[in-house]
Amino acid sequence: MLDRLRISYKNNGLREQLQALIPDGNLSACLTCGSCASGCPATGLHDMDPRKFIRMAVFGMDEELERHPWVWACTMCKRCYDACPMSINIPALTFYLRSQWPREERPKGILGSCDHHLRSRGGAMGVPLEDFQFTVEDLAEECREEQEGFEALEVSVDREGAYFALNQNSREPVTEPDELLPLWKILHKAGADWTYYSDYWGGENYCMFLADDDSWEKIVRAQAEHIDRLGCKVFINTECGHSFFAVWEGLRKFNIPHNFEFKSIIQYYAQWIREGKLPVNADWNKDGIKFTVQDPCNIIRKSIGNPMAEDLRYVVKQVVGEENFVDMAPNKSNNFCCGGGGGALQSGYNDERRTYGQTKFDQIMATGAKYVITPCHNCHAQIEDLAHHHQADYHTVHLWTLICLSMGMLGENERTYLGPDLAEYGL
Amino acid sequence: MSTKPIGSVLVAGGGIAAIQAALDLADSGFYVYMVEPSPAIGGVMAQLDKTFPTNDCSMCIMSPKLVEVGRHINIELITLAQIRDIQGQKGNFKVDLFQKARYVDPDKCVACGACVEKCPKKVTDLYNVGLAKRKAIYVPYAQAVPLKFCIDPENCIKLTKDKCGNCAKVCPAGAVNYEDTDKEFTLNVGAVILAPGFKAFHPKDSDVYGWHTSKDIVTSLEFERLLSASGPNKGHVVRMSDHEKPKALAWLQCVGSRDINRCDNAHCSSVCCMYAIKQAIIAKEHDPDLDCTIFYMDMRTHGKGFEACFNEAKEKHGIRFVRCRVHSVFQAPDKKIQTISYLDEKNGQVTNEDFDLVVLSVGMEINSETKHFALDMGIELTKNGFCKTFAFAPTSTSREGIFVCGAFQGPKDIPQSVIEAGAAALSAGAAISDARGSLVKTVEQPKENDVTGDVPRIGVFVCHCGINIGGVVDVPAVRDFARTLPFVEYADDNLYSCSQDAQEVISGIIREKDLNRIVVAACSPRTHEPLFQETLAAAGLNKYLFEMVNIRNHNSWVHKDDPESATAKAMESVAMAVSKVALFSPLKEETLSIDKGLLVVGGGISGMTSALSMADQGYRVSLVEKEDRLGGNALSIYKTASGTLVRPALEALSTRVTNHPNIDLYLSAQLSKVNGFVGNFDTTILSDKGVRTQIRHGAALIATGATEHKPDEYAYGQHPAILTGLQLDQQLMEDGPRLKEANTAVFIQCVGSREPHRPYCSRICCTHSVSSAIHLKQQNPEMNVFILYRDIRTYGEKENLYQRARELGVIFIRFAAEDKPEVRVTDGAITVQVTDHVLQKPVIMDTDLVVLASAALAAGDDTLAKMFKVPRDSDGFFAEAHVKLAPANFAVDGVFLAGLAHYPKPIDESIAQAQAAAAGVCRLFAKTEIKTLGNTAHVEHSKCSSCGVCVTVCPYNAPAILEEGKDAGKADINPVLCKGCGVCVSSCRSGAAGLAGFEEEQIMSMIEPIGFDHVM
Repeated sequence: MLDRLRISYKNNGLREQLQALIPDGNLSACLTCGSCASGCPATGLHDMDPRKFIRMAVFGMDEELERHPWVWACTMCKRCYDACPMSINIPALTFYLRSQWPREERPKGILGSCDHHLRSRGGAMGVPLEDFQFTVEDLAEECREEQEGFEALEVSVDREGAYFALNQNSREPVTEPDELLPLWKILHKAGADWTYYSDYWGGENYCMFLADDDSWEKIVRAQAEHIDRLGCKVFINTECGHSFFAVWEGLRKFNIPHNFEFKSIIQYYAQWIREGKLPVNADWNKDGIKFTVQDPCNIIRKSIGNPMAEDLRYVVKQVVGEENFVDMAPNKSNNFCCGGGGGALQSGYNDERRTYGQTKFDQIMATGAKYVITPCHNCHAQIEDLAHHHQADYHTVHLWTLICLSMGMLGENERTYLGPDLAEYGL
Repeated sequence: MSTKPIGSVLVAGGGIAAIQAALDLADSGFYVYMVEPSPAIGGVMAQLDKTFPTNDCSMCIMSPKLVEVGRHINIELITLAQIRDIQGQKGNFKVDLFQKARYVDPDKCVACGACVEKCPKKVTDLYNVGLAKRKAIYVPYAQAVPLKFCIDPENCIKLTKDKCGNCAKVCPAGAVNYEDTDKEFTLNVGAVILAPGFKAFHPKDSDVYGWHTSKDIVTSLEFERLLSASGPNKGHVVRMSDHEKPKALAWLQCVGSRDINRCDNAHCSSVCCMYAIKQAIIAKEHDPDLDCTIFYMDMRTHGKGFEACFNEAKEKHGIRFVRCRVHSVFQAPDKKIQTISYLDEKNGQVTNEDFDLVVLSVGMEINSETKHFALDMGIELTKNGFCKTFAFAPTSTSREGIFVCGAFQGPKDIPQSVIEAGAAALSAGAAISDARGSLVKTVEQPKENDVTGDVPRIGVFVCHCGINIGGVVDVPAVRDFARTLPFVEYADDNLYSCSQDAQEVISGIIREKDLNRIVVAACSPRTHEPLFQETLAAAGLNKYLFEMVNIRNHNSWVHKDDPESATAKAMESVAMAVSKVALFSPLKEETLSIDKGLLVVGGGISGMTSALSMADQGYRVSLVEKEDRLGGNALSIYKTASGTLVRPALEALSTRVTNHPNIDLYLSAQLSKVNGFVGNFDTTILSDKGVRTQIRHGAALIATGATEHKPDEYAYGQHPAILTGLQLDQQLMEDGPRLKEANTAVFIQCVGSREPHRPYCSRICCTHSVSSAIHLKQQNPEMNVFILYRDIRTYGEKENLYQRARELGVIFIRFAAEDKPEVRVTDGAITVQVTDHVLQKPVIMDTDLVVLASAALAAGDDTLAKMFKVPRDSDGFFAEAHVKLAPANFAVDGVFLAGLAHYPKPIDESIAQAQAAAAGVCRLFAKTEIKTLGNTAHVEHSKCSSCGVCVTVCPYNAPAILEEGKDAGKADINPVLCKGCGVCVSSCRSGAAGLAGFEEEQIMSMIEPIGFDHVM
């Protein structure tokens, strides 16, 4: 940044543009009170923080903002926006500035994921539909054959008239297919009538992180149209934060017509447990292994809010035992972003991402929990990476793993993320 | 319908504003109905521990007023009542009231408390904001007025389940009545004053404040109760979760204020900065080892004495101020500790810090019922939900004949509420002035029993003052000891001797026991002596047969660590008072007539407003202005904060003053001599041309204004485009070309204010600059406008302007006192350089205009102060009688104060104060006569050596050397001027001067019981 800022008579381009674009984007209203920066894990990265960022826009330092790398450090978790007394949509500034980077100069990881997704009409990893279908069918067949009680397990793609349409994050079919099974088994036990859909089946949306509105919209619109064609009543989002937000916000932002309801699988976990369809219990946790939970920003603070956080806690407590659950502080809508969101895992700024994650790491360590439940792929990857980075002794698991464990139906190959204490449990 | 207005006023509310308005009206010839929704008056002030900036005990200064309302013959207190409808118009309103059943007959209840002991039902105590329990039958607090119990029908077992009935069984007075019913009735009044007060913002289950997650995160109102001796912790600061002593305390400012995200309160609540400072200081006084930190955005210490208090908090008390609005508060999972992260703006990093106790400085808002009621009554509100008023009629609502004061008018502190109450009372009274005196009742004082020569029969009353005294001094032991003293016929103790029921008890005992001397051992006679003297008078006893012993301030407060010695000291103090009072004889008060003319000094907005206020009500007013035209500072002001053009309103005022038949106007004139005293001043006015006019008047009002500081920094005077705030207004009024052509304007705040040599905040400059900046931006949206500030102090709803200015693109840059902006003029071009507080980098602005927000200075020297014997503070402003409760008059009777002469303030507040001062004058003029003090000095002429020392030392001009008669050449004291201070007595070298109530043998007799060794 310049050592001194000389202000002569001129206009403020960025400030005005943002105000025109976003109703709550009047950066000038900023009180410079510091609540955003004091609550932001990205404060200090690249010698920047949300308050300075707004300030530069207010001063009209557009040129310096135009390629500022901080836009890729900020995960747009909206914790600043939540507390801003002037209700200034600071993440919108990040998003806008990301969109102002020439597309090809945006971080390769995010750009590549978006382009793969678009090209393959599948997911961000570019896997063709046939491969996905093959993996799914093969695995289902194996499960029916080998796992007791799942002889009638049904997994379909594009089954018309199914009640639920489910999206699937690419990570499992591509890199750890066994992780697909727990969720299928849960759906099977709950008697859910569900199907995958084929067009843009990947439950991710890196185009959103790329701030490429057209592509973001294209994916969500295609998904919505396809699901409506299948006639599904409910579109369920798997245990993934950003894919939930991409659809939830995308439907709203781009005004995409649709006839289904859009829900998170966590809401159904809670509902099915309440209804007795998923007879989970915590009896298995005799040794009192402690669990904490990461509230994904995208499904809690940024969208559904505390009701979702309560559903999440209900499920966790039923599964691990209320006394074995330790909440992080702060939590729910006030939770800190883990630092893996907003495309940070793919942006290439790994040192910054880990520095950002320090806040989350400290929070986790303060709970003393052995396991961090992460119902989100980015949270999962980031929190696991933080454990490796700090050589910390905790494990990072999806909810599906624990639900199946609790119900005694977690298969031998579905235990990658469990620690040695649970690796053999219930086999 | 009769055209003559009804001579009564309904005051809705029971807080300090309502109380002051009611007293002002009731004392100036109107009958007052005071309608309070709760069972007792007192409002929020009654819940406060101390009041800023003087840290006076809130209840102690308020209690006399509560009692005065309770016993005022022209105030009818209607508690548990709400207004349902207001019909009619100014002069004749019909007000429908709904009064809830009390279930206790107030005429029978003696407040003995027997019912409470037997009541089995525990209920959340709202007076203690939920931190304690009370019973279903209760009084809200110990000093409540009326001190009458009431039953909470939602919780009483008898009323809900028809079981129990204990209270009726044990009530010795038969006062409990379960059959009591709600009532509806209608009152006819001439005017209405709305003073419903505010509701404190509640954080509830907000994630960011975490109030619901921990007992150790409390609201400031809860903390106030924790600090209070009458609160649930008896004034001990502990962590609520485990009652451990805390180490670190944090205050978070602007909770529920200046926030349109978490709540809808865009306004600043005006009081939170000061009360946080106050609470931190008190907490530190409780325990000097505490670490107190206040997290804030702008420290708003804009009132009189506030900045000094702020500086003292930092420098003397070591309170830490961190400028950051913190994101949120949360608890570590395994510790009873609240974590706060804040931004250190110097290094750009987030710091985490742990605190044992977090206080949320909650703001003021108007509750939705009040808002709905107001709108239903046709009363307009501001966008923040406060009552809409007008810059030139600050207590007028949009409905004629209905006035407003206190926090409903806008967020404000106690003095401003009291001022507004006076203004509302004045305006309501003026609206129905034809009916003055038509409905008031008078009371016949019982004939005074002549006890001269009777053997002393002394009564002693020892006060617990809740636990203020009783927590340290063994009060029953002092009482028992008093019973053993010579001439003591009766001794007892009271929980609060100042409470209304205690007055009735004392007065009853005086009659019953035929007592002729009374000693009260309690708190300060400064606040409470008049109350007890009135009680004596009501019992037919000369009020000077009374002695008060201060066993609180002089004893329990200072010896709290040594209860045994404190008790011994209290006994000795009582013994001294008993010895002294035994020697008292009845004293006589002189009666004086009152000249019903007012002299107003100063022809600015304040002076003109007060002059018109009185002249319109038929009183004669002389107005003296030193300039050759009326208007004062307002002549140089373009617009008020609310956007009203000043000039037209000012011209209307000037014209009315000039043409008013009841106003004698003296322009280009000053006072040359003031003689006399309240009711009978004799003043000489000297015109510039040398013409002397002598006038008589009963009261004087000082409204001499202030002047704008001439800057001696920021290159002032080096370039015609470097202006002061008022010079900018001049250009705005003239629509000067310099403004039209300017592309950039830079305002610099605190020019000459908040400096070591002039430490006060000038209060008006922030709002003025912000308003001017908005104006410039509206005229030319392309203009770059910067305001360089230290703290933006757009208090109250003026915060809307600050928000508006920012939204319009005005850029605010904060600088530190030790790193001021630099203004440079080079070849006719101006640049300003300042370090931006966010980027921590220098910003250089090429500017066409620099506006220096220059301090408001106290006008003139102390000539006028000396003439009227009134004090000025260290900043040169006139010092009012009491910063909280008497902000528009002086300690010298009959002399009043308004406007900038008191402290810098905007036009609406000046007008309110001018009206409040006028209300005080009305109270004085409503009397037919005034009484002087009885305990004045006197000179024994035969002993006087005519040295004249007494004449020199007297601060009130009371002694004079007699010029004629047999004692010519000897000193004599005018009892009317004498305030009984005793300075002449102690200076008199011949032992000729004496002071009634402090005669030598009385003083010596006090020393006797404790032995001379003690005092030598």
